[in-house]
Amino acid sequence: MMKADGLLAVLDRWGRAALPGAALLFFVLLTLAPLRAPFLSNALPLLPALVVFQFSLATPERLPGPLLLAMGILLDLLLGGPGAPVGVSALGFVLIRAAVVANRRYLVGVPFLFQWFGFCLLALGFVILVWGFTALWTWTAIDPVPALIQYVVVVVIYPLIAPWLARVRARDPLNVPEPSRGTARPGETTS
Amino acid sequence: MAIRDDFEVAAGQVRAAVQRFALGLLVIAAFGAMLVGKADTVLVEHARVVALDLASPVLEAIARPVAVANRAIADLKEFASLREENARLREENARLLAWQTAARRLENENEGLRDLANFREGPEASFITARIVGDSVSAYVRGALLNVGRKVGVAPGQAVVTGEGLAGRIAEVGDNSSRVLFVTDVNSRLPVLIERTRERAILAGDNSARLRLTLLQSLAGVQRGDRIITSGDGGSFPVGIPVGEVVETGEGHVRVRPFADFSRLEFVRVVDYGVTGLVSSGHSTPSTPPGVAGQRVR
Repeated sequence: MMKADGLLAVLDRWGRAALPGAALLFFVLLTLAPLRAPFLSNALPLLPALVVFQFSLATPERLPGPLLLAMGILLDLLLGGPGAPVGVSALGFVLIRAAVVANRRYLVGVPFLFQWFGFCLLALGFVILVWGFTALWTWTAIDPVPALIQYVVVVVIYPLIAPWLARVRARDPLNVPEPSRGTARPGETTS
Repeated sequence: MAIRDDFEVAAGQVRAAVQRFALGLLVIAAFGAMLVGKADTVLVEHARVVALDLASPVLEAIARPVAVANRAIADLKEFASLREENARLREENARLLAWQTAARRLENENEGLRDLANFREGPEASFITARIVGDSVSAYVRGALLNVGRKVGVAPGQAVVTGEGLAGRIAEVGDNSSRVLFVTDVNSRLPVLIERTRERAILAGDNSARLRLTLLQSLAGVQRGDRIITSGDGGSFPVGIPVGEVVETGEGHVRVRPFADFSRLEFVRVVDYGVTGLVSSGHSTPSTPPGVAGQRVR
């Protein structure tokens, strides 16, 4: 059935499969980059969540749960903060992916504005989750304003970054016939 | 044929069940990681250090282009106020030259008096210069990653200074990397002196740009413009490193602006004072009383 592929084709397939994970790793490391651009550097810690959201829309099968878990834990370890919970970002990533996959019907094949709105909601959930757990774990009242500033910045720059990461399938009727589903596997959309 | 269909249906159901189960498992794993982190802080510290050492070469590779970008941004900002800046610097230079003369005179006098009094100096401090390769700045933490580690003699608790003043202290050390916790971090507690009155106090961070002066005997003596220096209490820091100046005094609270400009740090110096005081060497077990020597308070 399957044709013996050329080297290029193999590389292409591997590259495609590895792209979401590599992009996520890149943005996890970029979180630490000592960039001093006003506002943009505020949003750096939330960019991995943006990557998770965008690739969950486009190709969730290339962003498996265990990978998200590992990346989230890596992010928490690197970002540090004495006493801060290690694994809260992992929890957030996993939940973002699950929420996107469960709501593909409202997020994929719809106008961009809907995706943006979806991101606004999920990112807010993510920020609240991280803030809540960090406050709980360190048992201190953490000022929520910096976290909210992060949130606002990342929501504003979402339209600038998201289209570069992955193109989500264009607008089409919700009842697409099987052959025109593109790369989406049957069973990927949960009903 | 029918058997095969049945099999496929069953396999599909199993797959669906595993998929549904997978989310639960992942959530449990994430919670597990958090609980383990809470229960076994030493393990987490160790994991942090390993992650830091692994990420450090990558960060170092991107530190240079990032520094160039930062400089470009800073240049753009400064361009607007070049003339005023120049005038200000000229004035400051004149003032500093006058101070230099005074300092030379005092140094000579001091030396003479020390000879007379047979004064013994404290341990000599040596410096390790480091490049900042990563920020660990988020809404919850203020710190940075350095490209030096245990191999060149960096140890937890050492002071980190810039040209202007104290930046923070070393919190975690890997083989070739380390993490600084800035004085502005919410976990930072620093024993300090008010230079004019010689009164002792604790300088606490709260993740904002201003520091809080706490545990002060009397607030009345503090004035705006008072310089704050390290007191060396706890033994891990040298005495007299400038930290900041008082910018705001109100009822019950004193605000201090740190001298170090955290928005444009590129290189820092780690002060190796010979003694690391209360910070235990080797394993950095957090078993110190709260509020001592700018150490972490849990």
